[in-house]
Amino acid sequence: MKFSVTKEKLLECLQQVQNVVSTRTTLPILSNVLLHANGNKISLTTTDLDVGVRGSFEAEVEKGGATTLPARRLFTIIRELPATEISFDIDGKNAASIRSGQSFFKILGLPEEEFPPLPKFDESKVVTIRQKDLRDGLRKTSYAISTDETRYVLNGVLFSFKDNKLTLVATDGRRLAMLDIDLEFPRSHEADIIVPTKAVTELQRLLTDEGDVRVSVGSGQIAFDLNDTLLVSKLIEGNYPNYKQVIPGEMKERVTLERETFLNSLRRVSLLASDKSNSIKLNFSKNNIDITANTPEVGEAKESLPVTYKGREFSIAFNPEFLMAPLRNLAEDEIFLDLIDEMSPGVIKIQSPFLYVLMPMRISS
Amino acid sequence: MDEKYAQLWTKISVALKPQVSVDTFKRWFSAVKLTNATADEVTLLVPNNIYQFWIESNHMPALQAAIASVCNGPRAVKFICAVDTSGGSDAADPEPPLSAKAQAAAARSNTTPGLNARNTFESFVVGPNNEIAHAASLAVAQSPAKTYNPLFIYGGVGLGKTHLMQAIGQYIGARTKNTRVMYLSSELFINEFIDAIQHNNLVKFRKRYRQADLLLIDDIHFLGGKERSQEEFFHTFNTLFDGHKQIVLSSDRPASEIANLEHRLVSRFEWGLTAELQPPDVETRMAILRKKARTLKIKLRDEIFEFLANRIKTNVRRLEGALMRVASFASLSGKELTNDVVEHLLKDILQEEARRAVTIDQIQRRVAEHFDVRLADMTSKRRPANIAFPRQIAMYLARELTKASLNEIGEAFGGRDHGTVLHACKLVKKRMKEQDKIRQTISFIDSALQR
Repeated sequence: MKFSVTKEKLLECLQQVQNVVSTRTTLPILSNVLLHANGNKISLTTTDLDVGVRGSFEAEVEKGGATTLPARRLFTIIRELPATEISFDIDGKNAASIRSGQSFFKILGLPEEEFPPLPKFDESKVVTIRQKDLRDGLRKTSYAISTDETRYVLNGVLFSFKDNKLTLVATDGRRLAMLDIDLEFPRSHEADIIVPTKAVTELQRLLTDEGDVRVSVGSGQIAFDLNDTLLVSKLIEGNYPNYKQVIPGEMKERVTLERETFLNSLRRVSLLASDKSNSIKLNFSKNNIDITANTPEVGEAKESLPVTYKGREFSIAFNPEFLMAPLRNLAEDEIFLDLIDEMSPGVIKIQSPFLYVLMPMRISS
Repeated sequence: MDEKYAQLWTKISVALKPQVSVDTFKRWFSAVKLTNATADEVTLLVPNNIYQFWIESNHMPALQAAIASVCNGPRAVKFICAVDTSGGSDAADPEPPLSAKAQAAAARSNTTPGLNARNTFESFVVGPNNEIAHAASLAVAQSPAKTYNPLFIYGGVGLGKTHLMQAIGQYIGARTKNTRVMYLSSELFINEFIDAIQHNNLVKFRKRYRQADLLLIDDIHFLGGKERSQEEFFHTFNTLFDGHKQIVLSSDRPASEIANLEHRLVSRFEWGLTAELQPPDVETRMAILRKKARTLKIKLRDEIFEFLANRIKTNVRRLEGALMRVASFASLSGKELTNDVVEHLLKDILQEEARRAVTIDQIQRRVAEHFDVRLADMTSKRRPANIAFPRQIAMYLARELTKASLNEIGEAFGGRDHGTVLHACKLVKKRMKEQDKIRQTISFIDSALQR
């Protein structure tokens, strides 16, 4: 196997795939990247057996073939190489000679046969989504994923394909983020699947603003085909909880807030939210919200925010981090905060179909 | 039964309602059913897992407070999903299957009155302080009447005597069918005996005890001074022993130290194996706390565990009580626990513990009293053997029980230098190893000092 490639292309592709490689792996082969040269294309594949990523780029291939090389090591070497042209020559024993300008490296790999193949997918169940929509949707929901491993069905984002809509849901039991994407697909493609956190994180790195992503769902697995790159992941087994149960019914009060202004105020006030109670209070009065936080024996913070508000006066407390998370990830200038009373969940909405339900904290009197 | 649980849930609901909003109650709690309630756990049936996740994350303090107020004490809350959609709630259960099996077995053996299903070998935390007693108990449970008969377990209050005895009872009861396990305290034995004399049915009384396959008698030291009961017990003991039935006894002191106990009983008690339980070391105390916290589903920070383990040294029961108190405070008040809060919360317990701090002066007094020498001899320059050796024992105890340095101890013993103290410690240790009597004497004085 012999080929030459520009440093830029190779590095870009390595950056896309190398994140999947786990540092603590039980199988040595999993710390390697699979290089496959065919025609004028080189593909790089990595996997941790749960998530696999394949990227490809064009190169001058002199002699086709396949091998695996240690991913991290290869990446650090390529990053440091001085010249832009890099040539690879891999012998029958999987030893790669890498030449670039005056530099020469020889690194030892493992045979390609040991590398676990990515699963194959049936082409029949494919849904096409605009990359921008999916990236946007994941950005606005994935921060609410639970990290509690005992609730493993919550360790991912629910993809619910139904009624020509893709609904993305993430929750950790204290808050829930939900977003709809309009799509067209046949009835037979309707499904509820849970994509694990790691796949969601990687997918967000790979998705761009241009083009489409083709999503194929197999039994227990899902593939996201982004033309040049492919991400395959196992799905989380089990049924996602009935999230609709969480969404409060009729809301009593609504305030319209400028997202950035609100976020900045929260960020400042939360500096004095104590680590222990970790709550921030919103005090509603006529056309005003006072945001307050205090830590006993440290001090307190208060900021007033003029708003249009004509409802009753009351106070509600939230975890500041949970309140700021959606504000950071939304792009809209204006958000709506809907509330019922101090003990009922608050809901953040925007003009498009998005919903963030957040449980209040108890106000200690 | 169902009705009883339904009523219990209605009561809990009433206590819960004011704590959550109307909508929350309607949305999350109206569909909940209470399916089981034990002394330490309440099982709730919820329609599906979102109920469990949401209640656990958001409404646990309110729910626990309501349950605690209705049941007069905190309970662990367990959820069961009617539609087990996740299909793997077992996977989330950290307990190994073995112990689940043992628990089921323990539940079956519950038919023996007086045995607490919680006291099993699985729930017993083994440390260097109790490993012999534990191993002996397990050996007895695995092959009754073959290894050590009788087994005599002794140790201070709250160190696990009853736990081990009941574990033996449950283990045997669960594994061999039709075994008659009798567990009772010696006080109950005495009462039944008196009752039998009064109502003239001694025959029935004898038959009852002499047909047991396994006789477990707790707190046998209460037999001390009760002559007729001792005699009756002596015969029961002989009948069972001759019939190759296992007997397990527990006491708060060695058999030979039980006052007014007949010699023939003492010698019989010492016939089999005598195992001592000592107060747990700090690592074992940590392990006990963690195990207890896990079974009660209490989550506390490591510092709190460390704090409790470091400050409460003498008694496991007190340790667990302190844990319960801290945990119920945390769940009822919802406040974050700091060492200061815990300190305040456990003020009385900690004071009690602190009282056990022994001073050199107390040691000197006690040792002088025990060996019948003058207190002044502890500090004098005279050194005939009958004075010098008690003095050395006192130095050794001072070294073991106080934080005083060798120099300080030497100073307290009439201005001796640290080498003298070191020599005394070494000598006493050596003689303790060589002569059981000295070891016993010293451990007696030791425990008397700490009482």
